[in-house]
Amino acid sequence: MSERRWPKAIGLVLAAGLLLAACGGSNNTGGGTKKYVVGISNTLTGNGFREEMICSIKAQAKASGVVSKVIVANRNTDPSGQIADVRNLISAGVNVIVMNPSDRSALDAVIKEATSKGIVVVTVDQGVTSSDAYQLYNNQVKYATLGADWLFKKLNGTGNVIEMRGINGVSADADRHTGFTQTLASYPGIKVVKMTFTNWSLDPAAQQIKDILGSGLKVDGIWTSGIDSTVVDGYTTAKKPYVPTIGADNDAFIGDLINLKAQGLSGAAVTNPPTVGGAGLAVGLDVLQGKSHPHLINLDPAIWDNQSTSGLSELQNHYDPKLNAYYSVTYQVAPYTTYTKDDLLKCADIG
Amino acid sequence: MSAQAIARPRVAPNVARLLRRNAWTLGTYGLFVAVMIFTVAIHPNYGPFEVQSLVVGALPLAFAAVAEACVVLGGGIDLSIGAMMAVANVVAARYMNHHDFQTAILVSVLVLVGGTLAGALNGVIALRTRVPDIVVTLAMSFVWGGVALLILPQPGGGAPDGFLALASGNVLTPWIPAGIVLLIVVVGAIWIPVKLSRIGLALYAVGSDRTAAFRRGVRIGPTRVFSYALGGFFAACGGLALLMSTGIGSPLAGTIYTLSAISAIVLGGVSLAGGRGGVMGPIIAALVLTMVPADLILSGTDPNFGQVIQGTLIVLVVMAGGLAPLLRSRRRAIVPGASSG
Repeated sequence: MSERRWPKAIGLVLAAGLLLAACGGSNNTGGGTKKYVVGISNTLTGNGFREEMICSIKAQAKASGVVSKVIVANRNTDPSGQIADVRNLISAGVNVIVMNPSDRSALDAVIKEATSKGIVVVTVDQGVTSSDAYQLYNNQVKYATLGADWLFKKLNGTGNVIEMRGINGVSADADRHTGFTQTLASYPGIKVVKMTFTNWSLDPAAQQIKDILGSGLKVDGIWTSGIDSTVVDGYTTAKKPYVPTIGADNDAFIGDLINLKAQGLSGAAVTNPPTVGGAGLAVGLDVLQGKSHPHLINLDPAIWDNQSTSGLSELQNHYDPKLNAYYSVTYQVAPYTTYTKDDLLKCADIG
Repeated sequence: MSAQAIARPRVAPNVARLLRRNAWTLGTYGLFVAVMIFTVAIHPNYGPFEVQSLVVGALPLAFAAVAEACVVLGGGIDLSIGAMMAVANVVAARYMNHHDFQTAILVSVLVLVGGTLAGALNGVIALRTRVPDIVVTLAMSFVWGGVALLILPQPGGGAPDGFLALASGNVLTPWIPAGIVLLIVVVGAIWIPVKLSRIGLALYAVGSDRTAAFRRGVRIGPTRVFSYALGGFFAACGGLALLMSTGIGSPLAGTIYTLSAISAIVLGGVSLAGGRGGVMGPIIAALVLTMVPADLILSGTDPNFGQVIQGTLIVLVVMAGGLAPLLRSRRRAIVPGASSG
């Protein structure tokens, strides 16, 4: 009996697969003023920052009114896989490619290939060595410098700090470490008692902070590379007095800075907007329409602390209790993005 | 006339047996052709650029799949293939940087020797300590992953253009990418002699039944070490192919290839129990697995379906593979006389 069911099951799944493929192939609108096809290349999935980045590109495509179609190449892969993805986007006939490059120099050849075919390539969030691409990224050295400087000043230049980094071997992490180390050099009284790699994931960071709190190590301040509210949660759960903490512009951490200030949490959020993706598309579409932009646009991070009045008001302006813990609250990148916050949150596609 | 009558029944069962024995590999070819037809259908301008994208994209995975196939055919498994690729990749990128083509070739040879030794080390450790190879190679994958980061803490290095052209160039016409020629030459030069020799026979024998092979006088230990060494060699090829496709060394790049390689060999008809399959199936499977994400991009399908489709494909193939023997045994049960066929 079971043998008879097999071919049927195979047939059903095959038919479903074909149907799926057929549905995907037939949504080309085209025509009118909507003349540009946008390609997105991203190599890290299931990551809040990257998802918001892609949403901002889609929202900007909708807001621009000149985009007919957005093709997304989004999977977990390495530079070799991203090269293949970009080549596929070229094959698919896109006019502009917005990518988060998985490597500084590995994509240079394929970027040249794209630009030689008249495609505008914009790299966002991380830089590349290619001179053909338009590049928009956050200054990661400065990101670390701003936060570390605030933290070390807060500690009056003496004390034990922990550096919780991102992913070992990734350029953004290396740049931030450079910034952190540079700042450290001018504060001889500050001692880094522990350095960890959170891999920008919650679980390792939660485990690390639990271990640190359990070890009895004297900690006066924590600098994190963005896995921030998890660290604050660790202190809350362990019922230990908070120490000055540096994080990113993530919603829950912003909320902590506002709501736990009375309980003794001091700290600051440094901006690292994923919406740089939408800004990248705006630049790319401008170039396609004949406007000129510099090839390198560095976005300077801002710092919002919960001690000064100006910092606190920035925190309150951006906090939205309805959002996910790690949703980045820098909704717009002035002067580039023109979408509505609503479209960004809904991850609105053109339609 | 009578000679023909005698010859016919003799030929037919031979062909039938050949078909039956290679049914899975033929199925993989069929799948490849089907996916190819689908690709060309949704992309009418399919041309040399696309063929080359496919080959350059598939090359590292193809080598990784061959590496894993060599180990699995011998009855083992190697979870450090990806990490060994990363080490080969960063060593090559570091020492080829700013050098000429001749130096690059010399470095490649040394990397291949190193890869072979690293693979052999896996085999020796598994054999000597009697710790299951799945544990040994998993542990070694962390060791090699760390070594890669020590050699090159972040992406960097490089290779001369001539070396990169070994994969990204073309031969005679733009329709024949250099990468596919490289793959065929390297795999052919190593695998065909192995397959035809005693050691190849021993490899399959050990893979399919270790005890039976031992009783027939096959030396189990050296054969198993040989299969791991072969795996290490092809993993090093994969690391070099990664360098050819990206032009740089990346300490984290290899990590995704261990599991992708296992997907490719399963899809390519290598039995995870060992002793069954070859290297052509996995290579074709690597091409199929590279085409699927490309088709998703071209057809504008939600990329999150990519993983689902890839997984479904593998389950389907394994189901189809299990179906053939089932149907055969049913037929035998119905027609008792057919069992001799």
